[in-house]
Amino acid sequence: MTVAFAVPDVIVARAQAGDEAALEALYRAFETPVYNLARRMLRRPEDAEDVLQETFLEVVRNIKQYRGEGHLWGWVRRIASTKALMRIRRDQVRATESLDEEPGGPGLHVGANLDLERAFDRLSETSRAVVWLHDVEGYTHEEIAEQMGKSVSFSKSQLARAHARLRRMLDVGGAP
Amino acid sequence: MMHCTMEDLGALQAGEGSVWARRHIITCAICQAELEALYQRVAQLKALPTLRPPRDRWPAVRAAMNAERVRRRRSWSAWGGTLAAAALLAGILLVQPSILGQSGNLHAELIQAKQQSATLEDSLHQYDIDGCVLSGHAAAVVAELEDRISDIDGTLATLAQRNVGERDAELIQLWQQRVGLMRELVTARATRARYVGL
Repeated sequence: MTVAFAVPDVIVARAQAGDEAALEALYRAFETPVYNLARRMLRRPEDAEDVLQETFLEVVRNIKQYRGEGHLWGWVRRIASTKALMRIRRDQVRATESLDEEPGGPGLHVGANLDLERAFDRLSETSRAVVWLHDVEGYTHEEIAEQMGKSVSFSKSQLARAHARLRRMLDVGGAP
Repeated sequence: MMHCTMEDLGALQAGEGSVWARRHIITCAICQAELEALYQRVAQLKALPTLRPPRDRWPAVRAAMNAERVRRRRSWSAWGGTLAAAALLAGILLVQPSILGQSGNLHAELIQAKQQSATLEDSLHQYDIDGCVLSGHAAAVVAELEDRISDIDGTLATLAQRNVGERDAELIQLWQQRVGLMRELVTARATRARYVGL
């Protein structure tokens, strides 16, 4: 999701001075895109809610370090995606299990003609994260690799595997 | 006939396909269709509906934020107590030149700054820091001053690890900055106290 939220400089300045109303204004401006990003990367809604909260606590702690270079949303988004990826790493066992499961998960045969959203939901969290960050948020493989602490080729192969799974689940036919 | 892998298609989509893939896609209808499907999937992903948080998390964020602020304020207040004790000791040393020996003007300046800081710290304790209500602007000013003092205390703690000779000039500067900020903080608190009749 490419978002361009305009937050007035005066709000940012007041937030940097610790003004609670300004901090709430920042929260209101970014709560939905942050939650959406986290929810698309993570399977469980409650995990996404936790990432939303952790992200804003980090924003509050570090807002003084934001010097206005780049868009504020880019800065907030970076914090949010890092938090979500940390959660995926923390739950690595769960992610690994999901990574190895058959596309669509148990009980779903290949070619079930799911809609894209349901198919996407069935990807592992690692795959979801890579697909969302690359295809929707526009991160490069280099950026994803850096954030995930993995190699560029890991990011590329995750993306390719995820698309191959999506393609099979969506039953577009004609495998290359 | 060999076809493009999903990785080849991804690379083509990014304009980074291999020479073979770029040549192959021109002539292969199957791979063209796959590449088109990839473009469509990405477009559909971008068009997925925005998911909204099911409940308002701001109260939880605000509570955690305020708890952190209180913790930080207590932390630098505790630092202040330690510093006051250090300043007292330094004061004792100051009136005993034989103990001080040849430490010179730098030490004297340092001790003076520490004493001033300790005095201001005592003045600050006359006001009920956590109990009084501040306007949004005053709270912002106080929070800013407290944060800056906290930053200086952090740097002072780091400097404490270094050799005495290397750090004196820097210490004096930091302590003087701290004194300046403490004065502003006391003024901000005192103004508020007068305003509410404390």
